[in-house]
This record gives sequence, structure tokens and C-alpha cells, in this order.
Amino acid sequence: MSLAAVHKPPRTAIVLVTLAAVFMLAPMLWVLILSFKDNTALMADTGSAFLPPWTIANYRSIVGEGQVFTWLMNSVIVSLAMTAGVLMLSSLAAYGFARLEFPGRKLLFVIVLFGLAIPEQAVIIGRHQMFSAASLHNTYAALVLPGLSMPFGVFLMTQYFRAIPKEIDEAALLDGASRLRIFWRILLPLTIPAQATLGIFTFFHAWNDYWWPLISATNRDMVTLTVGIAATQVNFAQSEGLGFLMAQAVFAGVPTLLVYLVFQKYIVRAVAGAAGQ
Amino acid sequence: MRYLLALLPLAMLSACGKPEARTELTIQRFFGACQAEFGTLADPAKAEGECGIITAMINQFEAANPDIKVVENTVFWPGYDQLTAQLAANGPPDLVTMHSSAIPDYEARGLLEPLDADLAAVGITPDQFTAAARVGVMVDGKTMGLPIDVWAPLWHVNMNLFRQAGLVANDQPVLPTSPEEFFAQAAQFQERTGKPYLVQISTKDSSGPMRIFYVWMLQQGAPLFRDARHANFDSPAARRALSFMKDLYQRGYSAKNLDYASAVSTFLKGEGGILVDGTWMVGKFDAFAHDATSPLYRGYAVRSFPFLFEGRRVALVDGHNWVMPTDAKRTAREREAAQRFLKYFAANDFQWARTGHFPAYKSIIESAQWQQLPHRGDIATITQIGEPLPKYVRRQSAIEYVVGEEVSAAYTGAKPVDRALTDMQRRANEILQSY
Repeated sequence: MSLAAVHKPPRTAIVLVTLAAVFMLAPMLWVLILSFKDNTALMADTGSAFLPPWTIANYRSIVGEGQVFTWLMNSVIVSLAMTAGVLMLSSLAAYGFARLEFPGRKLLFVIVLFGLAIPEQAVIIGRHQMFSAASLHNTYAALVLPGLSMPFGVFLMTQYFRAIPKEIDEAALLDGASRLRIFWRILLPLTIPAQATLGIFTFFHAWNDYWWPLISATNRDMVTLTVGIAATQVNFAQSEGLGFLMAQAVFAGVPTLLVYLVFQKYIVRAVAGAAGQ
Repeated sequence: MRYLLALLPLAMLSACGKPEARTELTIQRFFGACQAEFGTLADPAKAEGECGIITAMINQFEAANPDIKVVENTVFWPGYDQLTAQLAANGPPDLVTMHSSAIPDYEARGLLEPLDADLAAVGITPDQFTAAARVGVMVDGKTMGLPIDVWAPLWHVNMNLFRQAGLVANDQPVLPTSPEEFFAQAAQFQERTGKPYLVQISTKDSSGPMRIFYVWMLQQGAPLFRDARHANFDSPAARRALSFMKDLYQRGYSAKNLDYASAVSTFLKGEGGILVDGTWMVGKFDAFAHDATSPLYRGYAVRSFPFLFEGRRVALVDGHNWVMPTDAKRTAREREAAQRFLKYFAANDFQWARTGHFPAYKSIIESAQWQQLPHRGDIATITQIGEPLPKYVRRQSAIEYVVGEEVSAAYTGAKPVDRALTDMQRRANEILQSY
């Protein structure tokens, strides 16, 4: 039996996977088709999306909104800053919880985990007042800082650090390496799959965030893409501006798609790595 | 040359420190953004739709007032979350669009400034407003905003189907005058056209069912609320209104399982006789009535809700207004700029009324210019009989959601009418007694 024959997946599996892919892609294709159709035609009948004429007017309207690229840049800055911050803080905290002995370590870890059970809605008023008192609304700091406390990130990284044999640390200590050096030079590179998973998760979370930017960034120059493009919708957009609404969805989704395409190799590896843990 | 170079940084610094000669007026509004299409248009007469007209109006105001820089913040409808956050952070805009039904809630918390003196300073007095617009902005004798329109839920009629059903007389739609007549006409319509008489929202939107329920209650002369802390939904009038809604739905006289977009689409495809929707659709449906490919071609009419119940001749209305949030930091120049902005909107309310909403000024309602707009004469009485939600009740939007949800549950059969009304009453009272 040849190698190719061994690796060839069964035909049933191919058919099932193809069907699943079509099933998954259908709503996205529907969104894409609607985005190229005139709004008035869609108001009368969404079925007209399959018939010409099609138009790029909806995309022209988005790009024609003078501030859309400012909002895009704001989203990029906020998402990248939040991702970097979460990776740094979660890794450091996780290293401490996984490797260092200090009084109250277990209690502190439990308190951090409690954060997983507290919804954003429960703290949003207090948080808003806090940032208001510090005059931080309408700044990047206000958009980034709340997202840095991510209990899930600490938990994920702690579990990952715990899975790395302690003998590695001990060998490095014997060689005279400092704790920081062990963390930075030895352990951190071993956690790259988990970092990738957490990084992707955080980036998408920050990119899609709507509520906090909505109430914190009330200055039009500071809003993120999600809030900005939502504000451009006409009233009853689901009926009178459906094509525009779908074009907005595509426009807002393209950057995340690009992130996926560029980092596809790492994402797959990260997911596979996480699954293997 | 060397001296000039030395002076250059100084000149640049002084330029940086030069104060902005234009007064900055920050306004916040919904109605969407349409910069690509209307961003440079400064003639509202050439704009279309809410977004286009308001954009062109603001452009025209800026062009006519070069000493004022309008900073325009467009928010996702209705934008109250953002406004509340801005007020909490002590950074509200100078003027904000607000529904009449939302004014009492903000007013009661001292978050809005009365505008009587500001409006008087630019020659605007409440007696210039239509009755419905005036009631919408007046709270305890104070004018809390500048009304720009009044809107109402309406009956949009497919006259082509009505003709087929034999429900047209003198080129006017024949509408029922009692629940019994409603059922008779609906049956006749359905028999002759094979289509449902009524197209209404029954899912994913609480405002549509809520408005219809409120109208039928008001027509019976029943107050929606007993007082500021108690609703009146567990009452005979409410039971009669909701039972009627359930009957017509269950007997198949209404298209079923429609959200807002599919209800509009169903009507435009000629799949039902009457669509219950707002004033904002009049212009759009009229455009379809001029499109030879549309089922509405030469067959569109619009009317206020028919009076089915003996009681009061009343219509439910709401309205859009400019209000001024309280801000201790607002300067006299900013306030003066706001007054001029309000004056401009009052003077140009006809342009805004082209959206389909009713103008807020008697002079415009009475003008030939407005009456010549399509269909306006058929519904103008609403500005006289229109009644907004009572001002003594706060948290209207939260209550509206509860009412819409329970109404939908009842007429779609998910809940018995009595239980829906009991739940509606309890939930509304909880909201009314929670502050």
C-alpha cells in the first residue's frame, strides 16, 4: 500500500467536511452578496440579491465616511495594545502562580479565578465612574486598561507553565540564572503555543468589543471601528439600509480575516498545541 | 534671512497658541451618517431621507454661520447609553436629539436645561408649536427642548389589493369603524385576494406590538398608567385591546412571524393589505407607488389608525427634539451658538418634514407647501389629536419593551391574554417603583 493511499481520507469524510464547510460559509456568503446590492431593492425583497445589478455603493459609503480610517486605526491600536498587555501581564502572573512560593498564593489565585464569574455588566458603572474621576475617558488608556485584567489569560498561562517540568528551572538555577532570566529566556519561549492562543483570543475580543468603547469613547475621534460604523447606520437599518449594514459587517470583519490569513500557521499550531495539552 | 529663521519657531509657537476664533458647538444625534452621499451638500432641498436632510441642514447652518464650528457626533440609535455616560463623565454635548417620551426621565433627574429663555431669545415661543409637539416637550410648564417633528404609527394601505377586495369607495380606502367591522372587512379582503389583511411585526421587535396595543387602549379612553408608580395594564380596556389583537392574529387576518424588515418587505411585495408602520415610511412607500415594477404602483394610501373603539378620537404620537443637557462648563458663546442652531432648525422645519414626519410648527402644517407634499393632507389631523405618552411616567423605554414582549406573547398564543396582562402589569410596576 502506498503512502498516499494510507493518508487519503475516506470519501465519506470528504463529503461531510465539504458539506460542513458549505454550511458554515453560507451565512458569510449571504452577507457578502447582500453587501453588493442596492438598499432599496433589498428593502422590497432580499431575494433580489441574487439578481443583477450589483453595486459597490455601500462600500463607497463606508469609505466616504471621513473618519472611518481613524476608527480603524483606533481599533488596531487598542487591539494590539491590549493583546500585548494581556500577554505580558498574564504570563508574569502565571509564572508567579505556577513557579513561585509566596504567602497567600493559592488564595490569590482563587480570587483571580473569581474574576471569570463576574460579568462585565456588573462592574461597568463603577469602572466608568473610576475612569471619569481620573479624567481618562476618550483616551487610549481608557480603552485598553480595563481589558488588561483577564482572569482567563492568567488561568490559561498558569496551567501551561505548570505543565513545563520544574527540572528545567532547577537546571537553570544551578547554572546561576536569575528568576527573570529563567522566565524570559527559557520558559517563555516554551509557552509560545499558549501565548498564540491567548493573543488571538484577546485580539479578537478587543476588536469586537462594543459596549465599553460605546460609553467611554464618546468623542468621535476616539471611537473604535465597531462603535463608529454602528453610529453611521440609519434608523431601521435592518430594513432601509440592509446592504450598507452587510457591507459594514464585511468591512469590520476583513481585518480579522487578514489576521487569520497572515497568522494561519501559528493559529493552527496553537489550536493543535492547546488541544494536545 | 538668519533673523527670519530665528523668528520662525516663535511665529509657529504663537500660531499654536492662537485661540480658535470659531465657537465650537457640539451636537449629538442619531439618524445615521451619510457623508459619502451628502457630506458636502449644503442645500437640504436637494437631500433625501432623515440622514441626508439633517446632514445637509447642518452643513447649511455651518455655511451660514462661519463663526460657529459644529462638531457633530453621530450615535447609534437612540444613543441614550452614550448620553448617560457623557453626563456621568461631566462631558455632555451642547445639543442632543431626544424622543419626547425620553424627556421626562432625563428632566426628572435634572439632566436637561429648560430652554424657554433660549428659545425666546431667538423668537421661538411654544404657542408656535403644534399641539402634539408642544405636549411632547413641555414638562411642568417648562419647555425642555425644541421639537423638530411629531411622528406616529400609521396604517399604510395597498390600494391595489384594496380595490381587488372591493374595499375602495371614491378612490379612498374603506376602513373599519369597530372590531366587528374589522373582522368583516378582513374576511372579505382575505377571501377576494387570498392574502392577509394586516401586516404587522410579531417577533424580534417590541415597539411595533406595543404601539398598536397602546393605540387600542387610548381609543377606549383608558389611561395607560394609573399614576407615576402604577400601570393600567391589568384592566378591562387592556384586556379588550389585547383580546382583539389576539383574535385577529389567531384567525389568520394578520401575516405571521414577521420582524420589522420582513414586515416591510411583505407589504412591498404586495403580500398584505395594511402595514402598521411609522410616518418615516410615507416618502419611501410613495416612491414605490411611482415605480411601475412595484406592487404598490399607483396604489398607495396612508391613514391614521381607524377609530375602532368607542371612547376617544386619539392617536399615539412621539417626536424628535433637540434638548440641551445640563453642563456647568458651557460658555455664554457656546450657549449663543446653540440658540442660533435651534433658530435655524425651527426656521427650516419644512425641510425636515419632507422625511415624512409631521412638522412641529403650526405655520408649516398650515402652509400650502407642506400640504402639497404627498399624502400629508390625509394624516394631518394627527397633529391635533396626537397624544404622547404621559409625562409623569419615567422609564418609558424600559416599560415599552416589557409591554411589547407581553403583547407579542399573548397574540402569538405563547401566553393566555390574562396572564400576559398580569405579567405586564407586574413587570411595569416593578420598573415604575424601582427609582
